[in-house]
Amino acid sequence: MKRKLSLLIILLILFSLFSGCKDSTEIDENVYTIVIGLDKGSNDNIVLTIQYPQFKSSSKVTSGSSSNTSVDSIETSSILSGIDEFNMAISRNVSLKHTKLIVFSEELAREGIGKYLAPLARFREARRSMFVAVSNGKAVDFINENRSSISENITKSVELMLSQAKGTSYFPFIIFHTFYKNMLSPYGETIAMYIGVNNLSGLAIGKADIPHSALETDIKPGELPRTGGVKREYVGTAVFRGDKMVGYLNPYETRYMSMITGSFEKALLTIVDKKSPGDVIPLDVRLGRKPKISGFFNKGTPIINIKLNMEADIGAIQSRINYEDPGMIEDLNNQIKTYLETEIKKMLTKTQEEFKSDVFEFGTIFAAYFGTIQEFEGYDWLKHYPDAKINLDLTVSIRRTGLIIHSFPVLGTPKTK
Amino acid sequence: MNNEGKFGLIETISIVTIVIVSKILFTSESVVVDFVGTAAWYMTLLSCFTSIIFFLILYILMKRFPGKNLIEIFQLVTGKIVGKLLGFLFALYFLYYAGSNLREFIEMIKAYSYPYTATSLFLVTFIIVTLLLSYKGLENIARISYITLIIFIIGISTILLLALPNANFLYLRPYLGYGVKSTLYYGLLRSSSYDEIIILALIIKSVHGLKNFKIAGLISLGIAGLVSSISLVIYLAIFQHDMGAENLSGMFQISRTIYFNIYFQRLESIFLFTWVITSLVTVSIGFYVSISTYCKTFNIADHRPLLLPFSFLMYIIALKPKDISEIIYTNMAIVREYSGMLLYLVPTLVLIIAFITNKRGVVNNEEKA
Repeated sequence: MKRKLSLLIILLILFSLFSGCKDSTEIDENVYTIVIGLDKGSNDNIVLTIQYPQFKSSSKVTSGSSSNTSVDSIETSSILSGIDEFNMAISRNVSLKHTKLIVFSEELAREGIGKYLAPLARFREARRSMFVAVSNGKAVDFINENRSSISENITKSVELMLSQAKGTSYFPFIIFHTFYKNMLSPYGETIAMYIGVNNLSGLAIGKADIPHSALETDIKPGELPRTGGVKREYVGTAVFRGDKMVGYLNPYETRYMSMITGSFEKALLTIVDKKSPGDVIPLDVRLGRKPKISGFFNKGTPIINIKLNMEADIGAIQSRINYEDPGMIEDLNNQIKTYLETEIKKMLTKTQEEFKSDVFEFGTIFAAYFGTIQEFEGYDWLKHYPDAKINLDLTVSIRRTGLIIHSFPVLGTPKTK
Repeated sequence: MNNEGKFGLIETISIVTIVIVSKILFTSESVVVDFVGTAAWYMTLLSCFTSIIFFLILYILMKRFPGKNLIEIFQLVTGKIVGKLLGFLFALYFLYYAGSNLREFIEMIKAYSYPYTATSLFLVTFIIVTLLLSYKGLENIARISYITLIIFIIGISTILLLALPNANFLYLRPYLGYGVKSTLYYGLLRSSSYDEIIILALIIKSVHGLKNFKIAGLISLGIAGLVSSISLVIYLAIFQHDMGAENLSGMFQISRTIYFNIYFQRLESIFLFTWVITSLVTVSIGFYVSISTYCKTFNIADHRPLLLPFSFLMYIIALKPKDISEIIYTNMAIVREYSGMLLYLVPTLVLIIAFITNKRGVVNNEEKA
């Protein structure tokens, strides 16, 4: 009995010594990248940039923003060799285990990024829940400006910024898994967040002359008229065909795209008041129910029917017209409907004619018309997407009017029609 | 061989179910999707259905020789020499099964978590636990299987449910995958993925008679088919057929894609826990069945002296494949595609011989009761 017991104790001690074995590392033996970026290098090389937190308190770098991270770049032949080569300069092992975001420069993305993604899909450290973005400038510039103006915790800042995608729909919520899957997919094409650096000089207070009729301007990253603590911004969607970027959807078009894909949660939408053209009506819009998409072939032409049901709450009525009145609310519904219909159709046309890229995965609808994968892939849906005729059936219902149920005009202001 | 103990219906179901369904945690899902594409989820139901037919054939054989285990039936029908040879082949197969499963597990854990830890270290630690489980005998393994099955069901359900936001069930189109012919072919071939059901015929003396044997077999196959099919539906809905054929472990990749919100992500630890426990029990069952079959074949009363030699053999089998491709395309192909030729066809042939030669067992009073 004693022998058995001592054998058991020895075994237990041995097991505790074995734990992790050669693969065990202490936390402070590594640096954990938060963001990795890829730019075009010389010849066929790439410039790999990594941002990782420092194990010390933050230092003020620019007014209003702080950074407790380091940004290192290296010219290399591939991501994995670059990570390895960093270990010649960084005193701790570079680990991708906690990477939140991978950024490609637009220049690289337009040439094709398939060959850079495959190693990441294979590499155990890279997580498929990290986000994917395309920077309209250099990735290294974006990463250098990736700071926090609110807290010292840059990791939390990145995570929370990315989760803004769900709250506003101004940029898509795209993780590596979705990006990579759609890149290989015969059903549709892939997209990424479109990001950039803003030099914060676009805001001309008192000089801005943006007419209300053009509220939703075609802005790109870096063009948001604003000032603030951080220069980096997430604005819209980078659209791909295969592994190459072919264009972008601005943040408003991104919202319309997500309405159709069903990923739209809520957003504040501002429309021009048709009865008082100098005024606007901000609305809190959301999907009433999941979009219903059906499709069929008519003499070989794919016909897509989209049934979209939107709900809205009134945020404000600048004109103070009593749209809350049961006789007027339908008028406002129609105004929103006309506006959304026009904008959604414009966005659809852009994906068909300009990008030739089915970012909605309509291919999943038409796949049902083919018996086997060979037949479906032989038909090549992605090639036929631009020929598809898309019908939009949109319903808009204002559900609530905020905290006011009757708007009264301000005395002394001229009456609107 | 000495009395292996007796256990109830649930433990019996657990033993067989856990060894059959554990393969969804390994390379099986990707391989199936690679073969038949979007038809994978019902191809596995076809395999399950084929297995049920073979199991019913096995049931007829067992019913013809009440109170006898499969090895005894082989010897009664085909004679001592051929019977022993068949028993030896079965023992050898289950040792190969245990070794191959062990190596597949080790290769995957090295690929995902411990790339630089020596293979032999994994092998030794795993084999020690397998030895401990087998030393205590079948009853002990049955009880552990019951607990493991609960852990497995909770773990897998959690992962699949949490991954549902990433799923798009329209990816199951086109419904016929790579064609009906391919689905039928692989559906029949992959019925070998369910052939562990034969274990019931080898341990029949522990399962409280033929009625329990039949119920346990049908329920186990039903659960295994359903779990495999549901996991494949969700796997295809998350990865599509192209990317679905790429992954080393489908379920592990599903767990790595889970991103519920910033506070609820990185849930592969749930998978790892389920995976390790299930693999351990699967290898132990395969290992024990091999020794038990060997003992029954050569009338060895005590299985314990054989534990060390068999564990050494399992170690060699596990070390034999030189790379992961060999494990997937040779070892696991034998286990999951061709093993049915031994485990299903041999009992069927024995039944035919028994019919032709009009051999049948004798029902004694104890068995009648």
